[in-house]
Amino acid sequence: MKRIAFAVAFAAAATGASAQQPVEIKVSYQPALYWSLPFHIASEKGWWAELGLRPVFSTFPAGVPQIAASAAKSWDVGGTGSVPAVLGAARYKLMTIGITNDESHGNALLATAAKADAFMRNPASMKGQTIVLTSNSTGDYAVQSCLAKAGLKKADVTIKSMGQAEIISAMSSSNADLGGLWAPNIYTLEEKAGAKLICSGKDAGAIVPGAIVVRAEYAKEQPQNVARFLAIYLRAQKWSMAHRSEAIAMMKKFYEQGGVSISEASMHKEFDTRPVYDLAGQLKIMHRPAGGASEVDGWMTKIGEFMQASGTFAQVPAASGYITDEYLRMVERDPKLKEFANRAN
Amino acid sequence: MAGAAYRLPLPRARVLVLSAIGIAGFFGAWTLVALSGLVQPQFLPTPLAVLDKFVDLTRQPFVGYTLQQHLLSSMGRFGAGFGLAVAIGIPLGLLMGWFRRLDAIVTPLFDALRFVAPIAWVPFAALWFGTGIGGPVLIIFSGAFPPCVINAYRGAKFVEPRFIEAARTLGAGHLRIITEVLLPASVPSIVAGLRVSAGLGWQSLVGAELIVASSGIGYLMVKGQSNISTTIVMSGMIAIGIVGVAIDVALRALEARVAR
Amino acid sequence: MLAAWYLTTTATGFIDPARFPAPDESWDALRQIVFAGYADARLHEHILHSTELVLMGFVAAVSVGLPLGLAMGWSRTAEALINPAFLLIRPIPPLAWIPLAIVWLGLGDGAKVLVIWFAAFVPSVINSYAGVRAIEPHMIEAARMLGVSRWMLVREVLVPGALPLIFTGLRLSLQACWTTLVAGELIGAIAGLGRVLQQGALDIFPAMILVGMAGVALCGGLMTGALGWIESRAMPWRRA
Repeated sequence: MKRIAFAVAFAAAATGASAQQPVEIKVSYQPALYWSLPFHIASEKGWWAELGLRPVFSTFPAGVPQIAASAAKSWDVGGTGSVPAVLGAARYKLMTIGITNDESHGNALLATAAKADAFMRNPASMKGQTIVLTSNSTGDYAVQSCLAKAGLKKADVTIKSMGQAEIISAMSSSNADLGGLWAPNIYTLEEKAGAKLICSGKDAGAIVPGAIVVRAEYAKEQPQNVARFLAIYLRAQKWSMAHRSEAIAMMKKFYEQGGVSISEASMHKEFDTRPVYDLAGQLKIMHRPAGGASEVDGWMTKIGEFMQASGTFAQVPAASGYITDEYLRMVERDPKLKEFANRAN
Repeated sequence: MAGAAYRLPLPRARVLVLSAIGIAGFFGAWTLVALSGLVQPQFLPTPLAVLDKFVDLTRQPFVGYTLQQHLLSSMGRFGAGFGLAVAIGIPLGLLMGWFRRLDAIVTPLFDALRFVAPIAWVPFAALWFGTGIGGPVLIIFSGAFPPCVINAYRGAKFVEPRFIEAARTLGAGHLRIITEVLLPASVPSIVAGLRVSAGLGWQSLVGAELIVASSGIGYLMVKGQSNISTTIVMSGMIAIGIVGVAIDVALRALEARVAR
Repeated sequence: MLAAWYLTTTATGFIDPARFPAPDESWDALRQIVFAGYADARLHEHILHSTELVLMGFVAAVSVGLPLGLAMGWSRTAEALINPAFLLIRPIPPLAWIPLAIVWLGLGDGAKVLVIWFAAFVPSVINSYAGVRAIEPHMIEAARMLGVSRWMLVREVLVPGALPLIFTGLRLSLQACWTTLVAGELIGAIAGLGRVLQQGALDIFPAMILVGMAGVALCGGLMTGALGWIESRAMPWRRA
């Protein structure tokens, strides 16, 4: 009897396994960033397959090309900065379904070693200076928030836009005194060129979130996959919080793959200064009280207003149009996914 | 007075010696400036430092791959873009050389697009092809395409009329004239165009990879830049240069064979 | 062709407007940049600044490249000395010089001109070299026999003889300048057509990118036309 039961169980498992061919899902992110680490962790731990997904990754050097590629349906889900996420919402019906982290500390205005102290003592002395930053990025937003805090307007300074790599070049060779960077580039410049952080988004009172995004079309076609994707991301983040030293080791490898090598102290700083949200936390900040706006709505709308003021688009996309907690709620409602997302192992 | 015999080639030995002096002078000047402190040492490394890094990159992966692997990745994209430019450009050029109407329609558009830098197509590449190989291929194509078309066109247009007349009297139709008269006669021009085309295509590649790639020589350079590693950047430049020269030499050999 | 453009985008929606701009979008973008300004300047300011840069790079490159090519063509000794170094620099794409240009010259016009310089330098050397090579030897011999001085030889025989190919080189150099312009303006230009293209890319604003491209094409075409005019005046004995 036992043998028959065993055989039946085995057969069931076999057919079950073959019926569960992993489904392909195209995931995009930017390499060597704190909020993309969970994708790497999930791959290393084999968690994608556990929920029947087979990710196909594509990476981009910054948010803008990533958003542009979504127009070509090159990817279905992913993570990106909040500024590109709003751009995506305005241009291509990109939906924000969760928050990767609060990176207000990780987007900042830096100055070269020689000039930093002067600027920190008297921020208003930045008037008339040239600031190099990457347009339409979280770094851009942080810098402009810092300027506002110092009582300066955009017109009071000269802004030159270029990629992060060029900014690092320019500042390390003292060809630019002020620049807007995001982590880990902040740490690279601090460690390798002695630059100093003058003001972060947090200092300027701006909340700079990172966004989990999905193409509207794909979300409609495959809501189940989107929910699974969210659960995997949440689990990977929870695990990294619970297993800091292991996560740091993985981070080192992941960062190196993306061409970034920073000290362990800086890597710890990433963890320490960038809060993440578990399932319950995400639902809370995304929750819209009857007819009102959620916290996330507020953050993203402010970013939208900043972009509108820069002339990127004429109208700020309405938060309710692209920000949704629907998929988070799907995870919450499904006991299997909920348990999965809350596992800290 | 040197000059009366200015056309005569110098004895081989002399050429070698002079070349050696020239190269030595170049590297010597480089090393001197690097060591003089005129520019910060990390921004102008000595030739030796660059060589050292170059070798290192062939052994240790940087941003995921070794130098050779990055090169291979770049060359693959180049091959695709160049191949496409040749496959479309040469027939198009020949057709334009033959059919006046086609010429009149395409030429203005072509002249306008010629000045647009391949790198300017990057945003459209991202929009249309996303992450597929289509993106870089589009950019390389836009660089490699014009010379293919122009040279095929010139070749076709300046074929001796009597050959065409002869073919006509023999009753050949359009297609046969193009493939059996214009094409063979245009081969020298086409091959010359291939050299320019390959050169431009290879150069456009770097531009493409500076912006949207996760492997390749251009990508290697950008990451080197992010790491404030001038030696990596220069190693990349050397690698690009070497492959560029190799492609040019190969095509020049082809040109010489065809010219016989 | 305009009709085809309109049909495929607006009328039928065959091409998604988010991926390629429709005629009316492009017209709007054009009006925006001409009157209101885009990327911190109006169209004519962008054009002016770009033209300035191109001319600077072009003149700088030609003033070094032309004599160098002539010298290399004339003297085998000079050729043997200079060629190896030239062959090393030659295959490096102008764009690849950007990282170095930034750390050496900063973010000002100097760095941009350097990048454009590399683009224009190579064709002008190659073509003036070829131009000298192409002069029929007996012209030189004849001049020699008449006992003319070195300087006169250069002025009256060498340069005019090489002129056709020199001009080909100039045309290629100019073209290279314009195509490299965009890359040059990646180094943080305040105004310039390259900046328009770059900002358009960052804003994912295809219509503006198209306007920028058209601007580059137009200016490039005009400059080449101007060069052609100079060419026909400089070489009246040659039908273009």
